[in-house]
Amino acid sequence: MLPIARSEFLQIVRNRMVFVSATIVPVGLSFVFISQREVFAQSPTGVGLLAGAFMMILISMGLYSTAVTTLAARRQTLFLKRLRSTAVSDGAALSGIVIPPAIIGIVQVTAVLAVLASIDAPPAEPLLLVVSGLALVLMMLGFALATAGITQSPEHAQVTTLPITLGASAIAFWIGFTGTEELTPLKRLLPGGAATELTISAWNGGAEWGESLLLLAPTAGWIVVAVVLAKSMFRWEPRR
Amino acid sequence: MTRETVIDVHDLTVRYGTFEAVTGLSFEVRRGELYALLGTNGAGKSSTLEVIEGHRSASSGEVRVFGEPPTRRRSVRPRTGIMLQESGFAEDLTVRETLGLIGSLSQREDRPERVLDVVGLAPKAGTRVSQLSGGEKRRLDFATAIFGSPELLFLDEPTTGLDIQSRDALWETVDRLREDGATIVLTTHYLEEAQQRADRVGLMHRGRFRMEGTVAEITRTLPATISFRATAESAEIPLDHVRRDDGTVLVETHALQGDLHRLLAWADERDLELLELEAGPTRLDNVFRSIAND
Repeated sequence: MLPIARSEFLQIVRNRMVFVSATIVPVGLSFVFISQREVFAQSPTGVGLLAGAFMMILISMGLYSTAVTTLAARRQTLFLKRLRSTAVSDGAALSGIVIPPAIIGIVQVTAVLAVLASIDAPPAEPLLLVVSGLALVLMMLGFALATAGITQSPEHAQVTTLPITLGASAIAFWIGFTGTEELTPLKRLLPGGAATELTISAWNGGAEWGESLLLLAPTAGWIVVAVVLAKSMFRWEPRR
Repeated sequence: MTRETVIDVHDLTVRYGTFEAVTGLSFEVRRGELYALLGTNGAGKSSTLEVIEGHRSASSGEVRVFGEPPTRRRSVRPRTGIMLQESGFAEDLTVRETLGLIGSLSQREDRPERVLDVVGLAPKAGTRVSQLSGGEKRRLDFATAIFGSPELLFLDEPTTGLDIQSRDALWETVDRLREDGATIVLTTHYLEEAQQRADRVGLMHRGRFRMEGTVAEITRTLPATISFRATAESAEIPLDHVRRDDGTVLVETHALQGDLHRLLAWADERDLELLELEAGPTRLDNVFRSIAND
């Protein structure tokens, strides 16, 4: 797994288009929002809205989209088939491929939230923030494997990733702008909704730990859905 | 002395939906031999190979490689090198990085520099895979398969896209591996390669074996041929199964040596020179054609 992950890092760095879309674009977008933080602070969820939105944007663009693009590219070039001709297990091969986008996503989230914390105020519950972030990472990795199954090429990934990238970001902003006092069950059940609520309350503080951890349940459910979809949809070779 | 069985295929069937690509195939490959799996297009070779390599499960039947199911990668793959028919590389890695990566995943020990030297890619070690020619990628394919000198080597169309020098170098390396006891499974459309190098051949057509055995056993199923340029005296040739085809006399015989001796004696008696004389057993491609036309 580690040799595969190392080679994937090398390839991300060497492929300018992938590197830019995985790093500069989502981080740049986040800094645009930070520059307008006073506007967002007026929302019912305050600056927590930005934390929730950043978490979702960076993980969906930096991690999910990059992972789908990478998996589609490796399948198209028959590199996945080559990995399966070695002694490495399927799980280790896939882990090695998605670990770099996952690490890039986590580093980006950490960096951007650190900047937000330094110019505003640090999060009230940083540990809850980490838990929420990791849950989102796992969910998006599962969705990436499932989406890769219907993605024929890296170019096609620009289309197939849109529903989850835009949908999840829209959900995060909706919850950020409107809070969760109305339509609470719906907002929590949507993919990423409960994790966004958890992120916002971890940033702003004031919520009970036990109550906050219950918010992990819908995200855990979506992780299971994503894994089931990935198992049935993922393909190792291009369709003949 | 009976050699150990490395690959044991028993009653293998592979189905895709209702279509049966392979039907009841049984054969074995013994340690140290070069087994050529040949067949017409759509014969089921690729499906058979994919099951033996562990890329696909059999619909029914049993396959064992080193006594284990081939899907048991952790125990089988460290002993197996696979040269795929189609190259699959990460284009942004260099040749050395690629060989280092795939080599490390094979769980066999070797030095990438040594293997690159063997396949003639040492000067390209720092070149990205995207910049390699088709023939160079094929050599890199071969390099990843022979990394760590595996006990079992699958060569799927190994010389496609290679120039004559690269082909000779590839076969030299394969010969050295065989001297060290490696077992080879070869598929190729270049039948002369199978004819020259295979210990045994399995000829598939429509999902089944039509023939299996040594090259000599298979080519003996069709008559040998003697041919020379026709002359006025050709009508008096004292042999059976003689025909004329576009100025050439063709004799089909199952007793090549005896009939050739009689023909030469007959020509000698009449002080005749047999121009463009050729004589030899039937070739594998003739057997192949007879099966394909079936």
